[in-house]
Amino acid sequence: MQWNKEDISLFMGAKEYIDTLIVPLIPFDPSVEHGLKEQAFQSELLGLFMREIDKEFKGRVLLSPEYYYIEDNREQEIPRINSWCEKFQQQPFEHLFLFTFDVKWKRLDKDLTGELIWLPGRKNGSLQSSETISFVKEQTSQITEMIRSYW
Amino acid sequence: MSKKQVSRRQFLNYTLTGVGGFMAAGMLAPMVRFAIDPVLKPSASGEMHPVVEVSKITNTPQRFEWEVKQQDAWYESMVQKSAWVYVDKNDEIVALSPICTHLGCVVDWSSNEQYPDQFYCPCHGGRYTKDGVNVPGTPPTAPLPIYEHKVEEDMLYLGRAHDRGGGV
Ligand code: FES
Repeated sequence: MQWNKEDISLFMGAKEYIDTLIVPLIPFDPSVEHGLKEQAFQSELLGLFMREIDKEFKGRVLLSPEYYYIEDNREQEIPRINSWCEKFQQQPFEHLFLFTFDVKWKRLDKDLTGELIWLPGRKNGSLQSSETISFVKEQTSQITEMIRSYW
Repeated sequence: MSKKQVSRRQFLNYTLTGVGGFMAAGMLAPMVRFAIDPVLKPSASGEMHPVVEVSKITNTPQRFEWEVKQQDAWYESMVQKSAWVYVDKNDEIVALSPICTHLGCVVDWSSNEQYPDQFYCPCHGGRYTKDGVNVPGTPPTAPLPIYEHKVEEDMLYLGRAHDRGGGV
């Protein structure tokens, strides 16, 4: 389910069935010009992944609003990310996943409340290209497989 | 240098034009809507889309995908549709919506070893027999919707999916 009125009303009526939350973690840094294009692309790409996962698992997974952060200080973000997760846990959610292309989170893994899932991304390309589409499809089937293993 | 003074009359004039303009816009809006509305409507309801060559359809359900254009008040977008398609015992083509009628996950054919002849929903274990009818005692309370279909020159076309209501 997505973060929109229609899906959230569905969620409210069927809370006991929706036990999994995904928070997309998306980095950006508007002060460093050369990275912008790549960051924007990756944010779009992660959005695509989320949409695909939503399609498969609409009835059990809720997509949280995206968590954007400035790239240079991940440590500082941890308490805030954790507080998002804790708030969501009050619903309650049993499985909390943090999805990101940013591999630097891996090192901070243990301090995070949610389960960090690092996805291999793409630096560049076109979202419409058949290459990207098959990449996303292929990855999605692996991610859904992974989520199911937690259920 | 004096600042431009707005006289009482001018002021009234301005405001009245404003109000009038507003009213005119209010009247016009519906008319404009009428004029452009046909464009806003989703493409003709009965539209059929080519999905797969009939020769590729087997007795075992396979999932096929196609795209349709969808338009709401703000966006026009391509939406991906998919169906489980097979030929049944009476040689009829059956095309089922893969969307679980419980809460909307995508169901799989034969993905659960215990129920090899059923559609299975990974989310809460919903099940459907091959004809798409929900198995009582599992979460879904209605059968999988069926797509309208037609065959033309060895091509299967699918239209809308219809709820079959009720169920078991
Ligand atoms: S969404 Fe299919 S069983 Fe709940």
